[in-house]
Amino acid sequence: MNARYLFQRLSTLLLVLIGVSILTFLIIPLIPGSPARVKLGVQATDETVAVLEKQLGLDRPLPVQYWDWLSGIVFRADFGTSLISDKSISEEVSRRLPATLQLALMALVVGLIIALPAGIIAALKPGGKLDLGASIFSQIGVSIPDFWMGILLILLFAETLQWLPSSGFVPITQGVLAWLSHIILPAITAGLISGAIMTRFVRSAMLEVLNQDYVRTARSKGLAEKTVVTKHALRNAAISIVTIVGLQMATLLSAVVVVEIIFAWPGLGSLALNSTLQRDYPMLQASVLLFATAFAVINLITDLSYVLLDPSVDYA
Amino acid sequence: MKRMLSILITLLALGLSSSLAQNSGGTLIAAWAQDPVGLDPHITSAYSSFQILENVLDTLVTLDAEQNVTPSLAESWSVSEDGLTWTFTLRQDVTFSNGRAFTADDVVFTFNRMLDPETGSGNAYLLAGVTDVSAADAYTVVLTLDAPNPSLLGKLGVNKAVGIIARESVEDGSINTQPIGTGPFMITDFQPGVKVMLEKNPEYWQDGLPYLDAIEARIITDESVRRSALVSGDVDWAISVPAQSVSELSARDDLVVDSVPAGAYWYIGVNTTRDPLSDAKVRQAISYAINREQIAEAAAFGNAEATQDPIPSSNAWNYGYAPYEYNPEKAKELLAEAGAEGMSMEIMPTTQYEESIRVAQVLQAQLSAVGINATIRTLEWAEWLEEEGAGNYDTYVCSWNGLVDPDDFFYAQHKTGEVFNFTGYSNPSVDELLQQGRTAQDRGEREGIYAEINRVIVDEAPYVYLYNPLNINVYQTYVKGYQARADQAIRFVETYLDN
Repeated sequence: MNARYLFQRLSTLLLVLIGVSILTFLIIPLIPGSPARVKLGVQATDETVAVLEKQLGLDRPLPVQYWDWLSGIVFRADFGTSLISDKSISEEVSRRLPATLQLALMALVVGLIIALPAGIIAALKPGGKLDLGASIFSQIGVSIPDFWMGILLILLFAETLQWLPSSGFVPITQGVLAWLSHIILPAITAGLISGAIMTRFVRSAMLEVLNQDYVRTARSKGLAEKTVVTKHALRNAAISIVTIVGLQMATLLSAVVVVEIIFAWPGLGSLALNSTLQRDYPMLQASVLLFATAFAVINLITDLSYVLLDPSVDYA
Repeated sequence: MKRMLSILITLLALGLSSSLAQNSGGTLIAAWAQDPVGLDPHITSAYSSFQILENVLDTLVTLDAEQNVTPSLAESWSVSEDGLTWTFTLRQDVTFSNGRAFTADDVVFTFNRMLDPETGSGNAYLLAGVTDVSAADAYTVVLTLDAPNPSLLGKLGVNKAVGIIARESVEDGSINTQPIGTGPFMITDFQPGVKVMLEKNPEYWQDGLPYLDAIEARIITDESVRRSALVSGDVDWAISVPAQSVSELSARDDLVVDSVPAGAYWYIGVNTTRDPLSDAKVRQAISYAINREQIAEAAAFGNAEATQDPIPSSNAWNYGYAPYEYNPEKAKELLAEAGAEGMSMEIMPTTQYEESIRVAQVLQAQLSAVGINATIRTLEWAEWLEEEGAGNYDTYVCSWNGLVDPDDFFYAQHKTGEVFNFTGYSNPSVDELLQQGRTAQDRGEREGIYAEINRVIVDEAPYVYLYNPLNINVYQTYVKGYQARADQAIRFVETYLDN
């Protein structure tokens, strides 16, 4: 791996982002409804809508609006203000991005805690009772809708047992325990599903490796099964596992949208959904762009981590 | 004896101090259902915005719990004999939350901004007919009208769209995020999708009020999560809970389920410019074909009163006109007379109000029993508004809220060419009656006029009325000094936490 490769990847990223921004700019106004109508509601008249659209600058040609928006970001690092609430978009987005990242990461941790042991154990005796259990679990896990799971967890842990708060977000700076008690239910909701999916991948990655000749050799050398699994097999299965973890992290970023809504979690997902419903174009643009960036960065990190795991991989 | 007296005095003092301590301080955690859609009172039309502004702005007059007009920023008012000049005498002890004294100039500024077409205010209709707003002196405001309008007074207190704002908020551009008013609380933080923080206005003009130090209005959009937050004690008060959980929550002794018939109605809006719906017989057939009790039960889980006309039983103007008994046979006859047997039509509900979708589903089933083939087209809010405004629908399902005077129930909805007349209904004699209702000064005379309007609208059925919903707020028993209101306004000015 060298600097040239990294430079190439980063410039592709930039191109992708410009592409994404143009695409969203072109698509969004195609959705019927306008922010002016959302604000004015049933009381909107054509005149008041026109006045408001002019105030919001929506009567200008699209290329002008796009250039205005792009130059704001490039030259002033300014994403503009919300059409609905007049809030600064940069502030709003930077307040919400960490909340979404924390939730997605915690969900991933929950998912891995489930998937790694379950997948490995299932692979050790394919067709055995534990394997059957793991595959039933993952079948159920991928089938349960997250909104339903979220509400069930709230009913059990917040309402009946009253162990955890039902919704909301507390920054970690206001106390680790308070933060943890708020993040745990949404993280489990998103993490269970992703854990169920990852269990299958870990199982098949392990199975593939365990059937290879060098594992048989290691076993016939008389190595302890534990050493065979952790030192020989897992290490080689890691590449496929990391790939699926990277993909899952990216999926989680979008999966948490629903979870954020249920748990009143102030993240990027609920922001994107609200901006869509309210036709808050610049806010939506900014959130879509951030999601795209996050996806691309996660992919990059996944690719780079191959080098660490497998010395034979080199991006020259 | 002396000892007895001192014990008595001590007891009395203890009682007093504890009741004072109970009444003051604390933060109320309130579960809100939706984000405010901006907080500029002249631009927004969202109930979620007005419900926040209710505690931040004051109006010239206000409505008490029984919906009677009472003084607020205006101590008294008078109307000239010709009904064209309204003079309001303002309180002299009122200060905005930024510390500046409130005067007549603020009323002039607020109303002129609202009436200015450049503002693009959708709420300017509340001041329709006002041609001039001026300050006779620092504490006297004069409104000049182009025609007499006795319902104006109700409109000046109907909601916070006509609340008085400080010009500073407009000048520094904060009107949409932190409007400054003279109300009991002030907005100190608004994080869209998360919460709105309201803190006690130290300058508030009513002595000793408000009791609360602050209100944290948390946005919890999912109604079942709102219910859980209430049951688990995470929040003190909730704006609404799932309709199907009302009876279960009523049975609990740690919660108060506070309900009142709302000044609101659910209805089917019928596009009277499209065939065959342009024929009154077809609209009457729809009205005969539906079982309103069943709709109220299914859509509002019984938290509603089925009705055939709009004004609810909690309002003194209620008429209770009910010519349509549920009669599918009669509906079929009318359809045959109109030559519309086996007709098809579309029902347009919106995802914004799940209730509207439930109504549409029941309607679809009931209409099919009389041979009307109804399809449902569910749209999300922004698109729904666009389609309704453009008249691109056969029928839609929606509600009107926060109505008080009979004029509120009929004028904007049914007068020819009015902005909210989305059905295209036009009847010159109704137009004339609506105008008379606005100018008639005598209550008895108005009663007759609106009885006639009510009868004609129900008979000709541009709106097919379904039910009056109940307004239900639920809160912990230690929340005192709060009352659910027919106009759905949420007022925390006298609320306190007794714990």
